[in-house]
Amino acid sequence: MNILEMRHISKNFGKHLVLNDLNFTVPEHSIFGLIGKNGAGKTTAMKMIMGFLKPTSGKILVCGENVAYGNTATNRFIGYLPDVPEFYGYMTAKEYLVMCGRITGLKKLQIHERVQELLPLVGLDGIKREIHSFSRGMKQRLGIAQALLNTPKLLICDEATSALDPQGRKEILDLLSVAADQTTVIFSTHILSDVERICDSIGLLHEGTLALHGKLSEVKNTYRKEAVRIETIDEVQARRLFEHLRTLSFIQSVETSQCAVTVQLHDPQKNGLKIIDLLSDEQIPITNYQLLEPTLENVFLDVIK
Amino acid sequence: MNGFTAFFKKELLEAIRNYRVLILFSVTAIFGMMSPLTAKMMPDILANVGVEGMVLKIPEPTFIDAFTQFFKNFSQMGTVVLLLVFGGLLSQDLAKGTLIIPLSKGLSRHAVILAKYASALTLWTLSYALATLINYGYTLYFFQTISVSHLFFSLFCLWLFGAFLLAFLLLASVVTRGAFGGLLVTAAGLGILLICQAIFRMDPFNPLKLVSENVALLTGKAAFDQLLNTAWSTCALILSTLILAMMLFKKKSI
Repeated sequence: MNILEMRHISKNFGKHLVLNDLNFTVPEHSIFGLIGKNGAGKTTAMKMIMGFLKPTSGKILVCGENVAYGNTATNRFIGYLPDVPEFYGYMTAKEYLVMCGRITGLKKLQIHERVQELLPLVGLDGIKREIHSFSRGMKQRLGIAQALLNTPKLLICDEATSALDPQGRKEILDLLSVAADQTTVIFSTHILSDVERICDSIGLLHEGTLALHGKLSEVKNTYRKEAVRIETIDEVQARRLFEHLRTLSFIQSVETSQCAVTVQLHDPQKNGLKIIDLLSDEQIPITNYQLLEPTLENVFLDVIK
Repeated sequence: MNGFTAFFKKELLEAIRNYRVLILFSVTAIFGMMSPLTAKMMPDILANVGVEGMVLKIPEPTFIDAFTQFFKNFSQMGTVVLLLVFGGLLSQDLAKGTLIIPLSKGLSRHAVILAKYASALTLWTLSYALATLINYGYTLYFFQTISVSHLFFSLFCLWLFGAFLLAFLLLASVVTRGAFGGLLVTAAGLGILLICQAIFRMDPFNPLKLVSENVALLTGKAAFDQLLNTAWSTCALILSTLILAMMLFKKKSI
């Protein structure tokens, strides 16, 4: 079953077209990474799923129900973590969660149970301070706790890790991985390593449409570049290697920069051996020989080029 | 209903923790105390600043004078205090983005407006009642009671004006952006009402009449029936302001 369906969504602010006929679906129990440059329309898309913004045209379905702009009943399925969550600073974490629980219609006992579960999970147990004294990381963790409070079917995290230091990011990513056991997660970001770490499928938002969409592994395979990088001990050797490689038939292109030579070739596993033969025949000493794996960053840069 | 109760409680907690309750109650209590005191001491003050050769003839202050001061304080300074204390009632929430999470948890937008209005009205009512009681007590202590007509209705008119001001403030905060938009529009709106009253003589339906005729009502110089009509029309105005605020807020981009 699809938890989320975006059908032909367009949105413009005045003359500026942000989303242009955006279509995608997110199946149940996946971690979907929505990536794109700053200003690509990620937050706009997420706010429309929440009913906070009105699409210029198109339709959004959450768990099969239509999202209505303004008051939308579909929010009962959703937990939402904004990019910079803003809380009432004069409350404690527990008070805030209790308020959210009441708003969402949980019973007193349920609220108590959920709060007792969630506070330790996000590492805010026993912290009696008011929220205004919290660090960004703590606020982000409280944001996750409130998002998970009503055991949502869909957890939407907008740039949840962008403003955090490496440790804070790791904590949030770990939390999201845990949460993903019980719910579907949509995670928007421009930090590609975070996506590679937790997401199983991705969508790349570029110029208002989804330029890429699919399982992370498939996307990487499609964009696999068959390349080898060889590092020699000095620039003279690199130059020699470059000249020899240029003459080989199976080589598509060769580039050299300082001591390193990067080669694009057909069938690197088989033809790579020929390169190694060449190295040994010509007595070119090397320090490193590496098959280049496609990174999401390369894919990203390739697509938005 | 869940949402309304939870958000109403949150509003009251916010007012307490952000010292709004403290400020509002102290200022109104001071008004309650000061009004009869100024009325009592006014002849002495004037006598001391009297210019040589001028004879000031001041009648003995009465019960009415104490309430004149009270109404003057509340309709001028009181309005300013009310606007300053509740100026950010909705604007702050919108400008800071603190409403996003509660709304994402399924809080209805109608409940936001109603809870905010109900909490502000509760605080206004309580502080006003406190001020009135203090004022009444001191007035009884300083002056003998004289028979006045429509004292309760006169007080009610002032309260109703406060209620109108809060509703208008909410509507103004819905239609504007930024942390002070609502406050500015409300101040501008009051200015327009003043102009309507002063220049165009649009009296019968002008809520400002509720705070300009209280004393005249006490001394029997203003007609009760007319003011009653203004009170009814203000009630209708409050209701329609709130409904409009709810309708517009429902369609507002957050």
